[in-house]
Amino acid sequence: MPDTSTGVVVIGGGSTGAGVLRDLAMRGIDAILIEKGDLASGTTGRSHGLLHSGGRYCVNDLAAAIECVEEGRILRRIARTTVEDTGGYFVSVSEEDEAWEPRFVEGCRKAGITCERISVEEARRREPALSKQVRTVFWIPEDGHLDPFYLVVGNVESARRRGGQVRTYTEVIGFTRNGNRVSGVLTRDAMTGEETSIGCQAVINATGAWSGFVARLLDVEVKVVPVKGVMVILSRRLAHAAINRCHKPGDGDIVVPGLSVAILGTTAVKVPHPEVLPIEWDEVQMLIDEGAKMLDGVTTARAMRAYAGVRPLYDLGAEAEGREMSRNFAVIDHEERDGIAGFTSIVGGKVTTYRLMAERVTDLVARRLGVSTKSTTAEVPLNDREDELDQLRHRPAHLGVPKPHGEEVALQPLLCECELVRPQDVEPWMKDPAVRTLEDVRRRTRSGMGPCQAAICSYRLAGRLVTDRGVDGRTATRAMADFLETRWRGVRHVFWGSQLRQAQVTTGVHLELFNVDRQLTKYFPPPLAGEGQGGGVPAEAAEVEAVGQP
Amino acid sequence: MITEDRETFSDTVEEEHPVEACTKCTACNTVCPVARTTEIFRGPKFLGPESERYRDQHEATVTAGLDLCSGCKLCEVTCPSQVSIQEYIRRAQNKGAREKGRTLRDWLLGHTRLLSRFGSLTAPLANFGNRNPLFRLLMERVVGIHRRRPLTKYQWLTFESWFKRHRKNPPLPLGEGRLGARRSVAYFYGCWVDFNERRLGQQVVAVLERNGIEVIVPRQQCCGIPAVVNSNTDLARKYGVENVRRLSQLPAGVDIIASSTSCGLMLKHDYAHLLEIPGAEQVGSRVYDVCEYLWMLHEAGELDIEFQPVDTRVLYHAPCHLKSHGIGYPAMRLLRLIPGVRVEEVDEGCCGISGTYGVKVEKYDLSMKIGSRLFEAVKAAGSDSVLADCETCRMQVEHGAGSRSAHPIDILARAYGYR
Amino acid sequence: MRFDIAVVGSGLSALIATRTLQRAGRKPVLIWPGLSSLYFLYATVDVLGYANPTTAEAVEDPVSGVRQLIADHPEHPYARAGLPALQNGSSLLLDWLREAGFNWQGTLDRNLLLPTATGTPKPSCLVPTSMAAGDLHRNEPIVFCGFDGYQDFIPELAAANLSHGWNGGSRNVGAVRVPLPGVKPDRLFTSIDIARSMEDATFRRDVAERLRHAVKDDRARLGLPAVLGLTHDTDVHVEFEKETGHPVFEIPTVPPSVLGLRLFDRLRRHLQETGIEMIWAAPAHEAEVANGRCLRIHLKSAGREQPVEAKAYILALEDAVDGAWRAGAHTVRDPFFHQVLAQHATPGERTDESLFAPQPFAAIGYPVSDRLQPTHQDGHPLASNVFLAGGGIAGYDPTGIKARGGMAIATGYRAAQEAMAA
Repeated sequence: MPDTSTGVVVIGGGSTGAGVLRDLAMRGIDAILIEKGDLASGTTGRSHGLLHSGGRYCVNDLAAAIECVEEGRILRRIARTTVEDTGGYFVSVSEEDEAWEPRFVEGCRKAGITCERISVEEARRREPALSKQVRTVFWIPEDGHLDPFYLVVGNVESARRRGGQVRTYTEVIGFTRNGNRVSGVLTRDAMTGEETSIGCQAVINATGAWSGFVARLLDVEVKVVPVKGVMVILSRRLAHAAINRCHKPGDGDIVVPGLSVAILGTTAVKVPHPEVLPIEWDEVQMLIDEGAKMLDGVTTARAMRAYAGVRPLYDLGAEAEGREMSRNFAVIDHEERDGIAGFTSIVGGKVTTYRLMAERVTDLVARRLGVSTKSTTAEVPLNDREDELDQLRHRPAHLGVPKPHGEEVALQPLLCECELVRPQDVEPWMKDPAVRTLEDVRRRTRSGMGPCQAAICSYRLAGRLVTDRGVDGRTATRAMADFLETRWRGVRHVFWGSQLRQAQVTTGVHLELFNVDRQLTKYFPPPLAGEGQGGGVPAEAAEVEAVGQP
Repeated sequence: MITEDRETFSDTVEEEHPVEACTKCTACNTVCPVARTTEIFRGPKFLGPESERYRDQHEATVTAGLDLCSGCKLCEVTCPSQVSIQEYIRRAQNKGAREKGRTLRDWLLGHTRLLSRFGSLTAPLANFGNRNPLFRLLMERVVGIHRRRPLTKYQWLTFESWFKRHRKNPPLPLGEGRLGARRSVAYFYGCWVDFNERRLGQQVVAVLERNGIEVIVPRQQCCGIPAVVNSNTDLARKYGVENVRRLSQLPAGVDIIASSTSCGLMLKHDYAHLLEIPGAEQVGSRVYDVCEYLWMLHEAGELDIEFQPVDTRVLYHAPCHLKSHGIGYPAMRLLRLIPGVRVEEVDEGCCGISGTYGVKVEKYDLSMKIGSRLFEAVKAAGSDSVLADCETCRMQVEHGAGSRSAHPIDILARAYGYR
Repeated sequence: MRFDIAVVGSGLSALIATRTLQRAGRKPVLIWPGLSSLYFLYATVDVLGYANPTTAEAVEDPVSGVRQLIADHPEHPYARAGLPALQNGSSLLLDWLREAGFNWQGTLDRNLLLPTATGTPKPSCLVPTSMAAGDLHRNEPIVFCGFDGYQDFIPELAAANLSHGWNGGSRNVGAVRVPLPGVKPDRLFTSIDIARSMEDATFRRDVAERLRHAVKDDRARLGLPAVLGLTHDTDVHVEFEKETGHPVFEIPTVPPSVLGLRLFDRLRRHLQETGIEMIWAAPAHEAEVANGRCLRIHLKSAGREQPVEAKAYILALEDAVDGAWRAGAHTVRDPFFHQVLAQHATPGERTDESLFAPQPFAAIGYPVSDRLQPTHQDGHPLASNVFLAGGGIAGYDPTGIKARGGMAIATGYRAAQEAMAA
């Protein structure tokens, strides 16, 4: 007898899983999403956030490009709150780039992407930071920025309102079977170790780069090639619109401005495991050098941190490697392919096409469950709250208009001053059982994502854990330290100039003013002599440290 | 192994002092006179570097709270990362005003020169009006100028007209000073001296000529600071371009001096940085505050220090914008050369007026509250008068502390026997 | 511009150096690049909190601890400055604070143990009197007091941690929270706003009254965030203790730090009131050296470079954060002599994996001679009349050993002595 029962278990809390959960909920199918970390903590949350017009794929991967065109338009309607409709430019900076142009223009035409060649002068008027090396410019109005965190959270919250459930930090450790049919999922809480079973009629494997590991629990093979991409975050946008190199997609050829930052992307390196994502200095340096060819100010801007994500490229058996591989997706019907009923994988794809992927896989599973309701995810907007998330770009306007005379709107306090996060933005998440670490709060609110990388807001958040969540002081302090350690891991790769200077303020606050290093030495001694010297914080601890359940 | 740095970004560490250099140390908020005085102001850190990350040329500027910044620049003075905090605020103010439109009051206050010319032409009438309670009430209601704020007295004879006469008939023939006319300076007298305090201009000319310096008065426009502080950097740039063009035509070797701290700072720094006027850098490098210039002469052994004793005890208030010059307090050094002068610094921070800020009906009380520490200290010290290099500081101290005030040059001129 | 001795800097070491010169009858000019970015770390003067960066046990007697440190590490900035510099500099500071009307206390041979805003005990040596009642060597119960809506001090967090961390966790620690009079909890109120309001007797009495009702234990000491007055703190503290009927102590907060502001405000103003000229807004760089002496340094003033000539120069910058050196991706250079202070194949090398461990970058700085002159790599002074104090010195890392104030005092004092002899 399982501990809980539901219709469908969705494994994976990235954009695809979240989209599937929502699609199921909207068709009235009971579902639980389980995720071994936090929502959007895998591939989705580590993407560069480009809402693809399809321009990047139109020459080499026409099918993927066409999907992007359609899905981009849909997202602009249904996920208006998470999309910045900035448009994008494809710029040539070399002769090779110029040779690529006719193919690019032809690709856009075939895929149905609006593409307009504009003069460099006009482009520079719109984007004054455009580099002097730029020779030709194409304007692609349908590129944009898609906030991956809000996208996932928006999908999940929409599903939750319709009865969908979500369990974060819940790993799959096995399946229960009834003959050749999957009848349930065995899970373990990644923090408490507690094991649970969930009975269900169907399982959807939406774990992207981790799909192979999940499938292997059922002794079936799903070949996904994990390809690492490194990105560097600059502390301001530099440009309004996304800037792409007009050439065969390659390393360091995109700058995506989003909200308050710009992201330089990216590299493509096959890795043995989706969680082995080392950030090499060469990669960071290359991203900055290449970015500077398109935009002025890249070399002199403040780099805040570097991070790595993993693309879940589905191996169709072709010879292709890395970028050559298709960004298309596939629904794997394991009943048909492997004789395992009730198990379906959705692999490949990208964030921009998450909804279509979800719709396709849900179509199949719904049909198997005998549900004939059609997907409505392309029509119904994600966010029926239309409040907080809607205004990301306009946060300053919310913060109170001070008037010395007459009516006064109170000046609201800020919890995270860099990213303009108010205490009330954090409050609901403190009560959410799916939120287990301060990193999780960050993903939902942007606290700690600004230039100071949580130097100040980490204390305020620790305080919230104590007051709003009833966590004890030591656990809260540990959560604060873990939060800072995770930020630090990204900061270390861009440790010069202002980010180095910033670190002196951060260590000043936490080590000197608060004496937290001694707090950690005393209460959290290093697991083994010699490891994690001084602070005694094991490097990977942050991802698994619980901060208590509400 | 450490290799030679690549010819890449490797070591070109960020721009000199860009907005991103802010480390959130919050030093600016602790010194900001407005933030220290009222809790309705979020402070320079928020309005400067923090908001700047959210400003986008393609989107409307959020102006909430921007107009509470008085423009004293103490945030920049204290910023350990040398972020041009106030410049970012100025740019946002201007963009916001361009989008939303300017009030009549701010438009008028930005056009100080126009206003002053009118005031000067109609001096007796304007001065009467400025002191007439009924007219002031009307002004407060209609225009938004606080009725308790004493307004400047206009004079009929402008400095410019006086100087034309003076040129033809100098009281002291050049070369009668100790050194002969070895140096020439161009005097940027500013609207204040021209329309309100001709006497100061005359003193500056006398002190310089006494030291054998030929004074040239080039044609000039308002420096633009009133426009800048009234969210109109567009207008200020227009003025600035005109001044830079005129001042660039001065013969090489002619230094430019200013007797108003804020005019001087505009010429030295803001033309090139805030307003990005071509050629401003070269002009700015030739500009000196009048006391800075005289001290330089002194260090070169060229200043006549045969002063008559002036028996006086004075307080010195260092204007905020003087701090921005980055030259220390040359007036204090000069005054200490004069026998009989006992000068004490009254170090109580900003006086609160910040040009036209304290004139406005909604800012008057705040402005007086900011200055209250200074007023109390001045009253407690009970000295003859307060010296300050900036004209609006002097207005504010007179109004707030009820004391007399003067430019430091006044004492110098007296020490040279000029009345 | 010509001066007797030029002191460049923003932290405590610059102030101490200037004051030392002033007391000796010299005429220094203080070139002030701005309030130190780390001003908030001078809420107290920490001389030596821990014998080394990773030990857990606090030092009880800092002066003996420093003596030992000097013996063990002859290259340490404390060793370069010498113990007398710490001793003389500290008494100079305490006298100065008294003269400037600021109540501080403490002696070099005893550390107080004060709870921080996270409730962690922290050894500090010289402290404002308004903090002293927090000493954990005393036994009275502690109640941490916070204010609704004020985020920079969380009494519950401090209490929860201290109740474990204070002598094994048996002591009596509590937390209360009261609304500030007339302030809605969703209203922005910074420590500066509260400190200013506390100077208003009605507001302060109202807060005291609320706390008196909220705190049940009559014997308790009250631990408040440092908000007891912006400038009139001594009076505010005394009055507030009377009004609440409890001993009260302040706890330093994250910036904006009222304690740091008070110290720097008062000392800087006292220098100016006693005739020391300050040059604001003109960061110094470029030392011109000829025949082994520095002829002048250049200031970045408005409009142009301003040369400053002096008999000797003291460079007392805080650290990279205040421009003592500049780090490119590979190379660290100094702004005065354009020396390469360090080179790194990757920027990551400058850091430890953990934020809470000693960081290699913190030790970057100029090598110095026994007289605190910056030197070439071979130990030869770059200029005989230039002296260093504060974070620009190689190996200067007060973070782990909690020695920021003491190291600033010792190097500032010593640099001033050497500058006078130059």
